[in-house]
Formats: sequence, C-alpha cells, structure tokens
Amino acid sequence: MERTADVIIIGGGAIGLSTAYHLTKRKVKTIVIEKNYLTSGSTGRCIGGVRQQYATPTTIKIAMESVDFFKCAEEELGLDVEWYAGGYLFLAFTEDEEKTFKKAIEIQQRNGLDVSFISADECFKIVPMMYAPGLRGGAYCPSDGQADPFKVCYGFAKRIRENGGRIISSSEVVEIRTKGNKVHSVITNNGEEFFADVVVNAAGPWAKDLCRLVGLDVPIEPERHEAMITERVARLWDPMLVDYRPDGSYFYQRVTGQIIGCYTPDPNVPGIRTDSSLEFFFEMPRRMSNLVPALSQVSVLRHWAGCYSMTPDGSPIVDETEIEGFFIAGGMCGHGFMFSPAIGEHLANYIVEKDWGLPWDEFKLTREFKGKEALR
Amino acid sequence: MTEGKRIVCRCEDITYEEVVAAIEEGYTTLEEIKRALRCGMGTCQGRTCSRIITGIIARMKKIPPNEIKQITKRPPLRPIPIKALIGEKDGENR
Repeated sequence: MERTADVIIIGGGAIGLSTAYHLTKRKVKTIVIEKNYLTSGSTGRCIGGVRQQYATPTTIKIAMESVDFFKCAEEELGLDVEWYAGGYLFLAFTEDEEKTFKKAIEIQQRNGLDVSFISADECFKIVPMMYAPGLRGGAYCPSDGQADPFKVCYGFAKRIRENGGRIISSSEVVEIRTKGNKVHSVITNNGEEFFADVVVNAAGPWAKDLCRLVGLDVPIEPERHEAMITERVARLWDPMLVDYRPDGSYFYQRVTGQIIGCYTPDPNVPGIRTDSSLEFFFEMPRRMSNLVPALSQVSVLRHWAGCYSMTPDGSPIVDETEIEGFFIAGGMCGHGFMFSPAIGEHLANYIVEKDWGLPWDEFKLTREFKGKEALR
Repeated sequence: MTEGKRIVCRCEDITYEEVVAAIEEGYTTLEEIKRALRCGMGTCQGRTCSRIITGIIARMKKIPPNEIKQITKRPPLRPIPIKALIGEKDGENR
C-alpha cells in the first residue's frame, strides 16, 4: 500500500474533500485521512444553505465562485447535488439591521453580486405566508441557494478516487512528524505512517487539537449549533429566511420539500458537542411558526447538533502555518460547506503554484482578528 | 417482484439494488448508507429500513447482524406536529 503522497489532507468533510478534488484534478498525488467516515464531522450536520451575502470582498468572491461551482456541480461531479437557487432573504426589523444590510449590499454589489434591499411589500410577495409585523424590508439575493452536503461530498470523493487519489476512513491522525521546520509525515491510530511534504489540517472542530500536536495554537473554538428538519410538504416558499431578532431563527425549504433550520444559541455552547437539547426542541418550532404560522401544521422529523468552528473575527483561516508545508483550512464559522468549492480550489492552487489567486488577507493566520463579520 | 423495484426504504423510495450498489461502492455502514441514500432520514426514521439494510450488509459482508452498528437515534421518536410542540389547539386562530 502506497504511503507516500504529495499532499495529505486530514479531514473528510467538505473542505478536505474539495481540496483533494482540486488537487487530484491537477494530478497532485493526494491522500485523505478521515477519522470516522466521510461527512461525519460538521459537514454532515450542516443544513445545506449556500449564500453569497457577506460583508468583506474576498469572502464574497469565495462565496460567489462556490455558487458558480454548485451550479455546474452535476456536470463536474457526475451527480445531482440538489442545487436550487431559492435565494436568501435577510429580514430587517430594526433601523440598525437595515443599515448593516445596506452597507453590506454596497460592498456586495461592487463585487458583482445580484443583491438588493427590497421593501417589506416585496418581501411578502416573495414569501406570502410570512407573518412579520414591523418588517422594514430585506436584503435579498435570488442567486443564493441550497445543496445537499452529502451528495456534494460523495461527488468529490468519487472524483478523487477516479483521479487516482486515496481516501482512508476510520483512521485518526494522532501524530504529525516534522523534520527541521518542515512537515514530514503523519501517524494514525492504527500505527500507520504516511509521508508527504504538504499536510492540510481540514479537521473542522478538531483543527485546534491537531495544531497542538505540532505545538501550534490557532484561534479556533468549536461551539454547538442545533438543527431541525420537518417532514416533506408541497412547496411553500423559496428563499432561506434569516431572522436576526433575539428570538429569530433561519430556515428554508429543501428542494425535496422538508423545512430545515437552526438558530444561534445565546449564550453560545462551547466545545465539541453533538448532543441535542430539549430547549431547542421546543424553541425552534416556536420561532419558525412565529415567522411562518402555517408551519404549525407540519411535523418535526428529526433534531440533531453539530459544531461551528469559530474564529475571533468570524472569517475562516486558510493559510500555511509557521511549519513549512503544514496548512490549515479551518475556522469556517458555520460556512464550510458553502465555501468549500472555492476554498478547495484556491488552496489547491496555492499548494501547486504558490498563488492564492485572490487578495488573501481576510483568511491569513497572521492577521489581527479584529472586527467581526457583520453577516454572521 | 420486478427487478429494480424492490423497495427497501418506503419513505425515500430506495430499492434493494440501490442499497447493494452503495455497499459495493464502499458505503458499508448504516450511517454511511443513511447519508448516501437517505434511508433512515424519512418519516419512519429508519424503523422499517434499518433492519432490512442490516440484513443486506450482514449477508454481503458476512458478518453477524448483531455486530452491525445501528444508526444514532435522534429525537423525536415519531413525527410530532409543530402545533403540538407549541401548545396550539386545533381550530385556534393565530
């Protein structure tokens, strides 16, 4: 069995698999090592929303390129990934929200995104069954959408194997060896050693622990987020509804009919936790049906939890570390799946050509981590 | 029965042949098959299909069914209407 590669990717989620896909497409010999099974970490627990409405230029570009990928993913990956451009509608109930959205829209439009601030009347035209007294309007981008994280990842995996890459599941990296200041090999819990000059840490919520193996401290803190899905119903409305009110939530209807959604807990729930709480189980249906009362007629099927990997400023870390050849692609702050196509492509590009292809300061490990992504 | 029409998962319309193909492709655990084919994500949450798929894996992989790990059971145990969770009564106006 081959134990030497050009690149070893640690983590079989969207980011790791996309990076491996783009590397193997460029004929780079790649091994993916996953500690459990593909998508078993954060990717398989995300709700599949894909948006481009962010507040900083590189993030907006990454999101737009990712949407371009999702649009033709069926052709690229050879399977239907359930991409559907239903849009995202951020609801503004306060003057502050309206200002924040309008400021972001300016930057988004300058970067070529088809987004605008629409009136409350227009919002109700798009989602007639919404009950939202006091709504001032919304930030609406019709080309945002949704895709199935499992299908996208299995599509990546299929192509990686076809391109000659290797995917090793049920193997946890427990040691990373360096020589001088260069990465040299990784050792798994089965005692196997794999060699490569480049190792990418795409371990999601476990990224910080992996960095500790080589004495690096990265500002990535996992926290629990819960999600819920209902039974399938006939199409009710199109866009993801994002309600930032204190008892708001965000949810949308999958192309396959289910309503799926989350809310961000306050205070946050730190740690790598995937247990589900009774509080969310009652609170989420209340919040969803507050905004869309007709949902009271729909049944909840399933409730689960996964981790967001948060950075202090709300932007990802995608960079080479101070150990030569040891990269980190983590701290996705809940946006890993939707960013994965473009992050993987740019990272693969950098590994091959030493060029990020975009201004990369937003994602550097050495940045100051000041400020906060306005559209979290 | 018609070839290719032997339904294993009634909620998501998944056939025996599709399950066999997924196992051959390397999705050999219930958790992986659930994610690849959605068996266990439908209305019954795997109560019907899990046993059948456990049997298929057991036969194909030649392992005793009781050694095959079952999928994580997630709340609720059965579908619950949102109106029941929020305490709304039938006919109540909102």
